[in-house]
Amino acid sequence: MITLDDVTKRYGDKLAVDGLSLNVDEGEVCVLIGPSGCGKTTTLRMINRLVEATSGRIAVGGRDIRSVPPEELRRGLGYAIQSVGLFPHLTVAQNIATVPRLLGWDRGRIAARIDELLSLVGVDPGAYATKYPRQLSGGEAQRVGVARALAADPPVLLMDEPFGAVDPLTRERLQTEFARIQRELRKTVVFVTHDVDEAIRLADRIALMKDGRLRQYDTPERLLDHPADKFVHDFMGVDRALKRLVRVRVDSVMNAAVPTIDESSSPEVMADRASCAAQRFAYVLDVEGVVQGWFDCRALEGGQQAGAGVTRIDWRESTVRPDASLKEALSRMLELGFRSIAVTDDAGHLLGDVALSGIEGAFSEGDSHIASAGTEEQQP
Amino acid sequence: MEPEAPIPDPRVASASDRVGATAALIALSGAVFLPMYVLRANRIVPGIDQPLGAGGPAAWLLVLFAAGAFAAALFLRGRSRERAELACAVAMFASLAWALAYAASTLAPEPTSSARVSIGAGAWLAMAGAAALWFAATRTPTGAVERTGAAALAAVSWLAAGVWGGLSRLSVLREYALQANTFWSEVGTHMALVGIALGLAVAIGVPLGILSSRVRWVRTVSLSATGLIQTVPSLALLGLLVLPLAALGLPGIGPLPGIIALTLYALLPIVRNTYLGLTQVESSAIDAGLGMGMTRLQLLLRVEAPLALPLVVEGVRTATVMTIGIAAVVAFIGVGTLGVLIIQGLGYQADDLILLGAVPIVLLALVADAALRAMGRLITSPGIRVEAR
Repeated sequence: MITLDDVTKRYGDKLAVDGLSLNVDEGEVCVLIGPSGCGKTTTLRMINRLVEATSGRIAVGGRDIRSVPPEELRRGLGYAIQSVGLFPHLTVAQNIATVPRLLGWDRGRIAARIDELLSLVGVDPGAYATKYPRQLSGGEAQRVGVARALAADPPVLLMDEPFGAVDPLTRERLQTEFARIQRELRKTVVFVTHDVDEAIRLADRIALMKDGRLRQYDTPERLLDHPADKFVHDFMGVDRALKRLVRVRVDSVMNAAVPTIDESSSPEVMADRASCAAQRFAYVLDVEGVVQGWFDCRALEGGQQAGAGVTRIDWRESTVRPDASLKEALSRMLELGFRSIAVTDDAGHLLGDVALSGIEGAFSEGDSHIASAGTEEQQP
Repeated sequence: MEPEAPIPDPRVASASDRVGATAALIALSGAVFLPMYVLRANRIVPGIDQPLGAGGPAAWLLVLFAAGAFAAALFLRGRSRERAELACAVAMFASLAWALAYAASTLAPEPTSSARVSIGAGAWLAMAGAAALWFAATRTPTGAVERTGAAALAAVSWLAAGVWGGLSRLSVLREYALQANTFWSEVGTHMALVGIALGLAVAIGVPLGILSSRVRWVRTVSLSATGLIQTVPSLALLGLLVLPLAALGLPGIGPLPGIIALTLYALLPIVRNTYLGLTQVESSAIDAGLGMGMTRLQLLLRVEAPLALPLVVEGVRTATVMTIGIAAVVAFIGVGTLGVLIIQGLGYQADDLILLGAVPIVLLALVADAALRAMGRLITSPGIRVEAR
């Protein structure tokens, strides 16, 4: 879909990008990453001709980008940037309408598209369409920025650290939502970041650059397991095993058959149900099926009254969603001191759980190399 | 960015209003200690000061309102203080008008006699104090309705005093009655001159400002040239224009050099604000605009211009107020602006004639200022308005 062939960008004596060749397949997320000054942003900006390549050839959809006027080219390439760049004098709706208006869409089509896009990026169209950018939080502004980039439904998205300017918690939420949107839309995405975790999480393939040169271009797994050289190895970090967990979703190792009991049950019933389970505990649900806590039958041995042995939790704090990464699940478990953690939907309904043993399993079954590499590191 | 909550001004919130109190005190001492009205047997002889009481009951009301404003500035807080101060300022203007009218019609009752009553130092000070109080009360950018209402009330009270209270017997207005025809033609010339010069300055200055934001040498040349012009005194500039105009075979006096001089003065604020307005547009908005496929012209019209416009209008406002003042000087080269009255008044040592020229200039400037401020607010997108939440 996007092909860079021996592309070079020279500023005076300095080579910003040096003989870069890269191919991004349709529907793939290609993440450009590297230390600052490595030429990743320059590369991105050469694709929509905000920067003109000194030499080499760039093609999008098989067409040389120099064969069309730059404005026409850019209207077909969604563009989202770190500083968002929303137009402060226009409302959210007018901002999103920018490219459709340039393309001459009619009002009805634009209005419908705005509603559709705001819903897609998780912003309530009714409440936000008429707001101005400065009335938005950082995360909301980034969402609107992505919606604006998607406005004219371009096949290609160019994103320059689109989640760079928000706090880590918001960034993680935006990444999760971006992954969801991408599963739905299957755009061809070129994504610049300096955050290795973000790259591993979102990329189908990572292009690791240094000093304007491409050092390795491969899947995140391959970069983690088979780094081309010491630079790649070091850049990916020492916690490669943990980073691997970012690639695995909770629902892929989730244990769906977990024992549950109703919160109104007597201690005897609770003990009985719980002792049937191998773990000797069960999740306590309310009538709606929302997780309220768990029951540990060992706590019952003293013979207490109703409610004893029940540990109450707030599902918003102490559970994970099915589309979270295993790294997030593990991190939560370590933080809370649990050996397993409940998986719920957005309303708190129990879907299953993930145990430490399940996470260990993910190491061995997916790629034995990772698991063994991890062991070797533990025994130098 | 989280939406910013308005930060309460600590001065307004907790302490007493020193500016307002000082203003009220100035008005009060003016009314009490200085002559409010001056009676002259004719236009030229020295006048005789008249006491406060010559203004009748309205004069005592003036003192009362000034004292009230002083108390309000010291002891009230927040919005109620602003309202009380504004009400007192309006009441002071109104009572002053009626006091002057009373004094004019009682001290010089014969319409045909050459005796006339003019405004004394005390009354001027009271007026200045009331005006300062007005500004003290309207420092926070809220309450547009109250402000407009107050201005209308003050204007109506003066008009009423003119029609029913005998204010027209005041020397300035008797002077006006004598000069009415020339006066209005001079007002017309004055406004026409300012209008033409501003039109030209916008037509030249805005494109020059746009070019300055794009091309470095244009910026250097245009900003330093227009800045240099500002440093030349207006009378000197009119003199300096004579030679080049003569070289072109054009007259060195009359409307043409006047319009050229005014246009030159008006250029700096317009060029500078257009340039500043365009350069303060966030680079991320420009990057996003270009990245989404806007042409340079579309970017200018859809993004840069709307964002720069408030500052451009601000520049036009500055230029307008300035040229309204400088247009008076153009009277020296034989253009019939309001400056003619001032020059004549200076020549005859006739204070009333000077006032007849000067006061309308001030009023014109105030009206133009308010109108352009209102226009600036209207064309500013709510998304970038300063006071919006």
